[in-house]
Amino acid sequence: MAGISTDLIRGHTDTIILNILRHGDSYGYDIYKKIIELSGGEYELKEATLYTAFRRLLKDGEIESYWGDETQGGRRKYYRITDQGRQTYEQNKKDWETAKVILEQLIKGGITDESR
Amino acid sequence: MNLDKKIDSYLEDVFKDVGPSQQLFDLKQELRVNMKERIRDYKETGMNDDDAFREAKVSIGDLTGLVEDMRKYGQQETKNQIYSSMTNRISSGFIVLGVMLVLFGAMMTLSMFFMAVEPVARSGVSIFIVAGGGILVYGILARETKTRYAMSKVRAGLYALATILILFAIFVGTISGLASKELFVAITSSMFFLIGGVGLLVALLLSRGQSLKK
Repeated sequence: MAGISTDLIRGHTDTIILNILRHGDSYGYDIYKKIIELSGGEYELKEATLYTAFRRLLKDGEIESYWGDETQGGRRKYYRITDQGRQTYEQNKKDWETAKVILEQLIKGGITDESR
Repeated sequence: MNLDKKIDSYLEDVFKDVGPSQQLFDLKQELRVNMKERIRDYKETGMNDDDAFREAKVSIGDLTGLVEDMRKYGQQETKNQIYSSMTNRISSGFIVLGVMLVLFGAMMTLSMFFMAVEPVARSGVSIFIVAGGGILVYGILARETKTRYAMSKVRAGLYALATILILFAIFVGTISGLASKELFVAITSSMFFLIGGVGLLVALLLSRGQSLKK
């Protein structure tokens, strides 16, 4: 586990959560498991970080929450992506596509004589 | 100490310096359920209770940020009492209205007995008791008290519906029984509402969460 540094991923926590909720409503522990699964077991987002992110996303109107109606073992708190959340996700995805290319250049690119 | 108690006391300990608030209550409920499920998963891999619990505590991560968040809510709670007292005022209105309707229905039914009307017509006004009973139940449940948080509007509404169904079953049974003078008519006509009401009530009682304040 932890095949990717927390520093690298921090700015993308919200987008990762939105991506998971884009595929259907879910609750804390399930989202936690899905993140591990999506990363192929290479990244674990601590549950505490998740809950903090949920609170932020709720406040910004990107997601909504509601209580499930489980009778066994207590009710779960589910999260649902809002229309605004979907738009934010699409925008973040675009931003990422752009950033990815630039970062690739910045990290790997060499400075050639012509550009001097 | 069983696992549920362990989880509860762990969460109590984490948030021990935090003033009570609805947000804290909700967060604890959320953490509790997710932790339980995680422990269940760990146990399926062969861990014993203690190891599973310890592992769950470790992997939940650093909760200090959330504790800090909740502390702010706890401090705000005094301000929120304006909101609380607003909901309580609405619930008081419901309780008063419910009591008045029930009383009105009861008095009307009583006075009908001294009038020269059909027995059926006598209990017809009892319908006010049915409506009043439902409103009264809603008013009581939607109220925040010192020991209990206000029930959600939907849940309180469902309890009120169950009450109305059961009272209505009695009402329908009485009316149709008096009209036909047959017991079986009374029973069959009220059965549908009674079963619906009791069923709903049982479902609600079984799915009861923890709403008692600490």
